[in-house]
Amino acid sequence: MALLGRIWNTAKSMFVGHSITLREMFTTPITVFYPEEKPPMERGSRSVPVLKVNEGTGLLNCVSCGLCERSCPPSCIKIEQALDAKGDRQSWPEAFELNLSHCMVCNLCVEACPFDALEMADVVELCSYQVQDLIFDKQQLAEIWKTSRSLRVANGERL
Amino acid sequence: MNILLAAILKVIGVLMFVGLNAYILIWGERKVSGHIQRRIGPIRVGGPSGIMQSAADILKLMSKEDFVPSGADWWLWVLAPVVSVAPAVLVYLVLPIGRTLVLRNLNVGLVFFSSVSSFTLLGIFMAGWGSNNKYSLLGAMRAGAQLFSYEIPLILSTIGVVMLAGSLTLQRIVAAQTHYGWFIFPQIVGFIVFFVASVAELNRTPFDLAEAESELVAGYFTEYSGMRWAMFAIAEYSNLFTLSALGVTLFLGGWHGPLLPGWVWFVLKSYFLVFVGIWIRWTLPRVRIDQLMDLGWKFLFPVSVLNLLGTGLYLMVR
Ligand code: SF4
Ligand code: SF4
Repeated sequence: MALLGRIWNTAKSMFVGHSITLREMFTTPITVFYPEEKPPMERGSRSVPVLKVNEGTGLLNCVSCGLCERSCPPSCIKIEQALDAKGDRQSWPEAFELNLSHCMVCNLCVEACPFDALEMADVVELCSYQVQDLIFDKQQLAEIWKTSRSLRVANGERL
Repeated sequence: MNILLAAILKVIGVLMFVGLNAYILIWGERKVSGHIQRRIGPIRVGGPSGIMQSAADILKLMSKEDFVPSGADWWLWVLAPVVSVAPAVLVYLVLPIGRTLVLRNLNVGLVFFSSVSSFTLLGIFMAGWGSNNKYSLLGAMRAGAQLFSYEIPLILSTIGVVMLAGSLTLQRIVAAQTHYGWFIFPQIVGFIVFFVASVAELNRTPFDLAEAESELVAGYFTEYSGMRWAMFAIAEYSNLFTLSALGVTLFLGGWHGPLLPGWVWFVLKSYFLVFVGIWIRWTLPRVRIDQLMDLGWKFLFPVSVLNLLGTGLYLMVR
């Protein structure tokens, strides 16, 4: 009797399994044809840290404090503070370099920034055959920020 | 001279069919598995639904390096793919494709089929031993145990049909099904045993222990690449077709069918069984080796013997 029960159970579970796969075979596939058809990025997706621009003045929010540089575990941020003619330090960066070939998208730099000058953009198509192409300067980072959807509402700038 | 020419033409025809069959089945298997998993399978390479994918695969395989692993037993290693393709091609000799369309109407067709197709095991063993690789050897050992234990129920399940038809000639067996109707109805138990055992004979999931990717890399053909690997693949898909065709011959009425010519019915039914095989492969998970042995010896074997007994009793009392 137990044997018959096992045979029945086997047959039943095989029938159920095969009917599921047969049904799946005739449902529409969920494949997205990626390069031709781009799935929307989720809001709040974190892909690369970029520099925010104050839309009123057109200047970077960054004051060149260097906290992001120190907080970055793989050290991919390089900041050079601006100096005036007398050699006094100014509150904006002369150069801000981000080496995306090292960046591990950990968000630590964004959290470290006390002036809300960094943000994660939702840009993902940044592949390149040369490491050189992955080192972004401050203009490029600001450009990416302008074209990407920001996540945080900061200083009433934009959504 | 004419006989020679005809023989050469037949060989070329069979070889072309074997190649074409493997081409279509490899593509078809990828398509079916894709759709079962809600993907779409290959589409990019060209042709409708990416049918050129297999052509690209062939080109890739042909351009690969001819690599022999160090320490391999050269003769065994090189001959193994040939030995596994040869029986796959040979069994086409007796397949009754149409009412008069059969390459050679042997009076021991069924015996020829089962004995020739068990040569595949020799190829598998040669590959496993010759590769000098522990995964290959383990795969070959498993294949040996599995093929031995499933060959017996496979053959026993066909004997019921032979008893009803009263002949070992595949043509006569098909012809007898006009009288009895398709043998799947009186021999439903035999058909189930035959089908399960033939899936196991083909080393396909859920009985793919001999080439279990997650345990043995690829089993007995771990060390093979390029066209040598392709020969194993061709043999596998050719065997898938021929065993399905044997199932159609014995149980599903062979070339019987309305309207369409006989050979069309034969091919259609065979490909239907092939589809069922692919469907099973992408549904069921792999069984353990002890479950495999249990199923073979403790279930299929006694069931097929009981089936024989029942058939014999029926033939006595009728
Ligand atoms: S996201 Fe992480 S790794 Fe990338 S720049 Fe910021 S701190 Fe460095
Ligand atoms: S932490 Fe913010 S303000 Fe300071 S240097 Fe980095 S980006 Fe500029």
